Amino acid sequence: MSAVIDVPTRFDEWAFDHFAASYAAAGDAARVLVDAHACEWISPFGLVGLLAAGHALQERHGRSAILTVPSDRDVAHFWARMGFFTHAKDVFELHGTVPRVRGGDSHVLLEVTPVRAAEDVHNVVQHIQERSADILTTELGLDPKATMGFGMALSEACQNIVEHAGTGGWVAVHAYTWKRTLGKRVVVIAVADAGVGFRHTLEPTQGKRFGDRWGDGAALEAALLQNVSRFRDPGRGQGLAGIRRYLMRWQGKISIRSGTARIAILPPWDEGDDVPLKENLASFPGAQVQLVIPAGAQETR
Amino acid sequence: MITQIDVRSMLARLGPDRRDLVTRPTGRAVRTSIDTEIAALAEAAGLAVVVLDFSDVRLMDLSCADEIVAKLLQTWVGPTAPAHVCFLVRGLDDHQIEDVEHVLRHQQLALVAETQGTLRLIGEVADPWRIAFARIAERGRAAAEELAADLAWPIDDVRSALAQLALRRLVVEESGQYLPPCAA
Repeated sequence: MSAVIDVPTRFDEWAFDHFAASYAAAGDAARVLVDAHACEWISPFGLVGLLAAGHALQERHGRSAILTVPSDRDVAHFWARMGFFTHAKDVFELHGTVPRVRGGDSHVLLEVTPVRAAEDVHNVVQHIQERSADILTTELGLDPKATMGFGMALSEACQNIVEHAGTGGWVAVHAYTWKRTLGKRVVVIAVADAGVGFRHTLEPTQGKRFGDRWGDGAALEAALLQNVSRFRDPGRGQGLAGIRRYLMRWQGKISIRSGTARIAILPPWDEGDDVPLKENLASFPGAQVQLVIPAGAQETR
Repeated sequence: MITQIDVRSMLARLGPDRRDLVTRPTGRAVRTSIDTEIAALAEAAGLAVVVLDFSDVRLMDLSCADEIVAKLLQTWVGPTAPAHVCFLVRGLDDHQIEDVEHVLRHQQLALVAETQGTLRLIGEVADPWRIAFARIAERGRAAAEELAADLAWPIDDVRSALAQLALRRLVVEESGQYLPPCAA
């Protein structure tokens, strides 16, 4: 039996639950088609989430799922410019025309990049500091002071994969207009893996403490709000806390989806449109993190 | 004896192009290099003060703040430390200071930071000790009696604060005078 997973027409973090539900419904189908032909717009979160899904399907079935390339030429070009297809061919069997693009689009802050080891994190941070710092400050009006913290947040978000996922993942950084509640440009860091997820990582040390409450939501709360780590070393668990402080300083937003839950720390500009915790969502493997920093944000202390 | 360690040069040993202190493995490698240097100097000269200079480091994440700064303090400050070492950090910007401060507070650690020519304590320190340190830093050095007079504190309170500061290697005692690490 085969199954089709629909890629939403507009594939961002909001639409991810629809995608995850479709992924979960595919179950153990022998052949899976991930259908992106009608996709019209995708965020960095969508791109790395799609790769995580491809990776998970490959692990589950021992063969690659089929991914149909967006039929809109401009959309497919954007995916190509973001470096998506370079990595998608490792986890998907691509159907459709993959556009050829010249590498190094100067307006892409960070193409989709695999994160498997500490060295990858170094390269990602170095790329942002050396090639994208100008775009962050001049085109997006990010305070130069914010770009240093941006590198720190990027590093810590990527290290979560290296330290906890038990497998590799991907990161992408892009700027676009956040129409929903802000109506202005934002810089978005998206990081995704199809690894073991927060609940599995923290269960040995935190499961008993939470008792009946233990689950994906409690694990996310423990990690993001209580700085809990699976390591007994008291110096651990500070990475997400550092990201949180950085985002609060620049009116940014963090959201993490893992398993069947999603947690978010909401800035005032998004409070009416999002909720801090969602549980009982469709199950999706690993962890998917999104950091949003509004352009031209003024520092708050 | 004061020894200055250029943290960027330690980082460059791992890769000449590196300017960013990111990831735990990098932090561990840099700390190991610094540990080796401190151990050698301590054995040779009875090291007193180590200035960790971050001026040429572009970026430091929380993982490196923990692996380098916090873990150096855990090794070299405290009753089981192999030698008596005071640390001072220099060349961190305000945001980095804030990040290091959080990392240290989380582990009940503290050290002296030099920012824009001023010395201050960062990390977990009781308020009276912080006040006493600030006064010593302002004066350059002070005996317990002088500090008690300056702060209008009972001498026993001052002695207690100074003993704690010295125990945590946040000040150096020389012939009854207390000094911030950089003046030692």
